[in-house]
Amino acid sequence: MDQNLVDLTEKLSLSSNKIVLTSSDGDSFEIHEAVARKSQTIAEMLDAGCTGTIPLHNVTGKILDRVIDYCITHVKEDGPFEEEEEAEEKEAKKKWDAEFVKVDLETIFELILAANYLNIKGLIGLTSQAVADHIKDKTPEDVREIFGIENDFTPEEEEAVRNEHAWAFEDSK
Amino acid sequence: MDFVNKLDTDTFLSILSRLHDPSDLVRASGVSRSWRDFVIRYGLSKNLCFKLFHQLTCVDRVNEESSPASSTSLIDDTTKLLEREHRAFALLAKGCTSSPIRSCIADAISASSTDNFPEESIIKTLDERVKIGATPSYWSSSGQHKASVPETLLYKLKGDLCVVTEFSIHPFQAYFQPGSPIYSSHYVRFRLGHLDNKNSLEKNNYVWTYTSQQFAMAQENRLQNFKLPEPVVCVGGYMLIEFLGRVQTQETDGLYYICMAHVRVMGRSLGKSFRLVDPEDVSGKFGLKVVSYCDPKEMGEEEVGQRPSRQRRNLEQLLHFMRRHPV
Repeated sequence: MDQNLVDLTEKLSLSSNKIVLTSSDGDSFEIHEAVARKSQTIAEMLDAGCTGTIPLHNVTGKILDRVIDYCITHVKEDGPFEEEEEAEEKEAKKKWDAEFVKVDLETIFELILAANYLNIKGLIGLTSQAVADHIKDKTPEDVREIFGIENDFTPEEEEAVRNEHAWAFEDSK
Repeated sequence: MDFVNKLDTDTFLSILSRLHDPSDLVRASGVSRSWRDFVIRYGLSKNLCFKLFHQLTCVDRVNEESSPASSTSLIDDTTKLLEREHRAFALLAKGCTSSPIRSCIADAISASSTDNFPEESIIKTLDERVKIGATPSYWSSSGQHKASVPETLLYKLKGDLCVVTEFSIHPFQAYFQPGSPIYSSHYVRFRLGHLDNKNSLEKNNYVWTYTSQQFAMAQENRLQNFKLPEPVVCVGGYMLIEFLGRVQTQETDGLYYICMAHVRVMGRSLGKSFRLVDPEDVSGKFGLKVVSYCDPKEMGEEEVGQRPSRQRRNLEQLLHFMRRHPV
């Protein structure tokens, strides 16, 4: 993976511009244009003529840093450098992705919001799946606790939901 | 901390549509009013059915006994409709994925040809025994000069909706003939579908909505299992087995025959809970009628009063046989 990244970086530096992204809390990140273009939002801004520094008011430095990591790892997909990936490489990416979402739920949510705002399809998918994984196999009570959601059902309404679909609540943990 | 509120519709949809277990989706609808409204309004349980089983996309509405309208507003009606759909499709998804897998042939209907009726009729394939007492039990096709002439067996599955997981065929070995020939075929293929209701002129036409790959049959006297790469929903309850390529001639007449001792289909019958309603309009899509909101674990049990009488079947087969072999 490291060697590939070095090769890639060489390829990139031969061809493209650098873009500077600034976060809502003042951090700056200089990245290659190809990496920046993983974000549809940024790509559109560049196509519309934006150059140099792009301020991202909705994303903190901490999150932007992670988002950029994702974009660098996945820059080869659907981009100007798309190549046939070997199974090994795909496997390595999968592992990287799995580690990437091993963070607290609050961070995942911020990543989703950022991915959404920046319109990075792969990241939206990855983070959506991570949230879905937190919902799987959980009781409604668990989900409310994890996500900090208030139960606004009346007892009768809640009873009705359980009765309508009794089979779904039988073996919930 | 309620981040979910900050998410836009598309993102929340992106998250909830990754719940592939119907139970998870239903439990999500039990989290809060807004989660429930979301699951219902966007038809997530219907979408899940379509995602899990592409064949179900030909079912597009839920027909239920209409209860007296307690409201007159259009919004209420739409909401009630969506709620009904949610409840029905959630149960359908659960039934399709987790009701018990059992043998699901309800009845044998007809064979493309039969040598000696009724001794060698298709009915014999319903019994797994190759011999009952001293009598061999098998279906035989009529003889053909060409090995390329195919044969078919038509069966009714239990219920209008049945998730098929595996087929098994036992070719018949004529132990009473010299050399004990096995009257298998080269290949076997399966089709699933429904009665053709549009064409009312010709009775008993079928529309096959699924055709399997061709499976190679071994020329061996044993039950051979053919597992489908993925379970398939039979919409309509009819199954056709096609035998392709004859391999064995009969010594006495030199003709090619195909004989089968037993046919078995394993799957999840949803007959206890669901019926199909014929298409009402040009879309050709079926309606889904919920007969019982029973526990998915009980869905495989026999429906009462649905099996056609055996006597009527025999008569139909006799007429079919006589038409093909006029005296």
